[in-house]
Amino acid sequence: MNQGGALSGLRVLDLSDHRGALCGRLLADMGADVIKVESPLGDPSRRIGPFLDDLPHRDRSLFFWFYNLNKRSLALDVSRPRGGALLLELAKSSDVLIDSSKPGTIDKLGLGWEVLHEANPALILCSLSPFGQTGPYRDFDADDTVLAALGGMLYVNGFAGKPPVRPLGLQSYHSGAYYGAIAIMSALFARDRAGVGQWIDLSLQAATASAVEHVSSSYFADRMIEPRRGTLHWSRYFRVGRARDGHIMHCTLGDWTTLIEWVSGDGKAQDLAGSEWKDFTYRRDHAEHLFDVLDEWIKDYDCDDLLARAQALRLPYATVRAPESLMEDEQLAARGFFAEVEHPELGRSIRYPGAPYLFGGTPWRIYRRPPLLGEHTGEILHDDLGKPLDELAALAAEGII
Amino acid sequence: MDPQTDSLPLKGIRVVDFTWVVAGPVATRILADQGAEVIKIERKVPGFMGARRTGLQGNLNRDKLSVAINMSEPTGIELARRLVAKGDIVIDNFSARVMRQWGMDYPSLRALKPDIICISMSGLGHTGPRKDYVSYGPTLQALSGYTMMMTDVDGIPAGYGYSYADMAGGYTGALAALIAMWHRRRTGEGQFVDLSQFEAVCSVLGPGLLDVCANGRAYQPPKYRSQEAPAAPHGVFRCKADAGSADRWIAISARSQLQWRKLTVAMGSPGWASDPKYQTLYLRMKNAAELDARLSEWTAGLEAEELMFSLQEAGVPAGVVSDGEYLCARDQQLKSRGYWSTVKIPDGAQTQVDGIPFKMSATPASVRTCAPEIGESADYVLGEILGLSAAEQEALISCGAIWP
Repeated sequence: MNQGGALSGLRVLDLSDHRGALCGRLLADMGADVIKVESPLGDPSRRIGPFLDDLPHRDRSLFFWFYNLNKRSLALDVSRPRGGALLLELAKSSDVLIDSSKPGTIDKLGLGWEVLHEANPALILCSLSPFGQTGPYRDFDADDTVLAALGGMLYVNGFAGKPPVRPLGLQSYHSGAYYGAIAIMSALFARDRAGVGQWIDLSLQAATASAVEHVSSSYFADRMIEPRRGTLHWSRYFRVGRARDGHIMHCTLGDWTTLIEWVSGDGKAQDLAGSEWKDFTYRRDHAEHLFDVLDEWIKDYDCDDLLARAQALRLPYATVRAPESLMEDEQLAARGFFAEVEHPELGRSIRYPGAPYLFGGTPWRIYRRPPLLGEHTGEILHDDLGKPLDELAALAAEGII
Repeated sequence: MDPQTDSLPLKGIRVVDFTWVVAGPVATRILADQGAEVIKIERKVPGFMGARRTGLQGNLNRDKLSVAINMSEPTGIELARRLVAKGDIVIDNFSARVMRQWGMDYPSLRALKPDIICISMSGLGHTGPRKDYVSYGPTLQALSGYTMMMTDVDGIPAGYGYSYADMAGGYTGALAALIAMWHRRRTGEGQFVDLSQFEAVCSVLGPGLLDVCANGRAYQPPKYRSQEAPAAPHGVFRCKADAGSADRWIAISARSQLQWRKLTVAMGSPGWASDPKYQTLYLRMKNAAELDARLSEWTAGLEAEELMFSLQEAGVPAGVVSDGEYLCARDQQLKSRGYWSTVKIPDGAQTQVDGIPFKMSATPASVRTCAPEIGESADYVLGEILGLSAAEQEALISCGAIWP
């Protein structure tokens, strides 16, 4: 299985919920055998929409699909002693276990770090939790929005005097998932040297703070509290502008002479042709006026024309587009960003957003569509773990698998 | 031997780092923090990119080394190639043509060192009709949909106030480097990773983009509608001014009926909360605008931090919308976990930087050294790694291959 992937040969038990599910997927996409261990009732995220054709069903959740592509599903009730024992057996032949339950939960199930470590000293446990396993907020509850708030990702978006604007997508979870995968890879390197696994305690709040660009450094360097600046980027070299048929992103970090020759040629430079504007710190310090003039300049341009001319002059302009425009994006299409995934049970294939990177030697790949609930329970417990079929039947009858 | 770094996971991995601005340095910061030896190859331009020890550049470049090599000179390129021959991973975030012009693209470097790993974090990738587009994080956010969909209450496309694309590109680049290195450890094979920062930020749009793919649905700005399990109330609510700020908000999210009941109790069970139109999650979502207005009236008289503690105590997810000062100086959790790291600066001062968002039980990493001034590590890099004598280094300075 998973021949040729960079991470082939690694087995990951993924007990995480939707807060941590991307972490295991990042490893699965590169060839690790990631087993999603979910309750026989189904992972709760199977009930989160949107659903395919808007038909709510545990095997049609696009939310679940996005985060669980390339994984196998083992339906196992780890909260019951025999289920927990089976998980412990699986852990003996696994490299990584990912968990995102409330701190202390797996300990109560008898599957805490000490138990896992004794069962398999080489195992790496990656615990993703909202605030980490220690500290005064350890038991606080949070969703992605609360984490974006407490991680500093929210306050700086939008306009002063109005409510902060929330990120698009679950970026606290996503940041945590990437840092989780990075931590797991680091622990694998450490295991190569020392022979033993370790426990990773990842705080999603801290991962969120790590994914904010400027707030902490402005505070620590100058005791400056970064404000909300509307559509002006904190660096003051970018601002959203309105062209004839839509919005664009201005950028004043390209070659200034080139930009101002163009604007002057259109008769719209006003005072920007003055030599003081050649200094980029001057442009930063007078950004609002600068962009007001540029807004006047672009208002009769169509976005696509403006973009084409700007890029031909190597000016880093962009159009402000809807995400659905990505489906028609020539660059993404040429690079094969979207991947067709066969869903034989539905008799159709579905395009998925694809790889964040193109590996020359060991490509990101579709190994399998997201699993149906418990789809691989038999092969994992019987073929991989060697459990006899009559034992599986008994476990199924008791609702443990 | 250095006991502080010897046990770190990436000890022994050498990264030749051509990255600049933000995304690339975020990637190599992650590797450096975990013990990789990251050598920045930089131009020496006074004041370029601002202060180096503190501020953003200080935060991005701690734990790294720096050598000032002039890549416009053939002797400078030759020096960089000698360093690559002693390296494991080369990372850049230029557009595709830069490394090629220098003769430092993957095929050239592979000829020099067969198992080299090259991670190129360009804006839009090395192939495709728009590979030569010039871009920065905010322009990639505009192209990928974040700017348009992150509207404020009045529908203005505000987007992020900063470059999340750079941060996402950075953590994606670090993960790519680790995965490629893992493969090399097992097979001896290096490879080229063509990382488009545009694709990296598109790939974290999440299930919403799959909804476009599968259902053909156009995006709507989510505003404060929950993007995970449905919740109501769900949003940010203005609080009373406190000693730190007059611009305080709290995020509150009630997913379950139980959380709603706990919230109403915390509010003192006001009459309006028992109105039938708020009795189920479905109805609360349907009447969210009125519900949010009611809630805002209540939060407006309360201090955000106290409210967070009382709601969390009651079992309702809530959090202060941290501004820079609250995040860095008041947040008890980050402080308690030692997230912010203090680094010493040679003149006797010190600064604080972001720490590492995860703790590892056996090989705990910490931020060790402040960001180097440009060219500061020449003695080690040129002398110890490349074995150049002082006279040879002087000669390189005179011919303009390196800056003193």
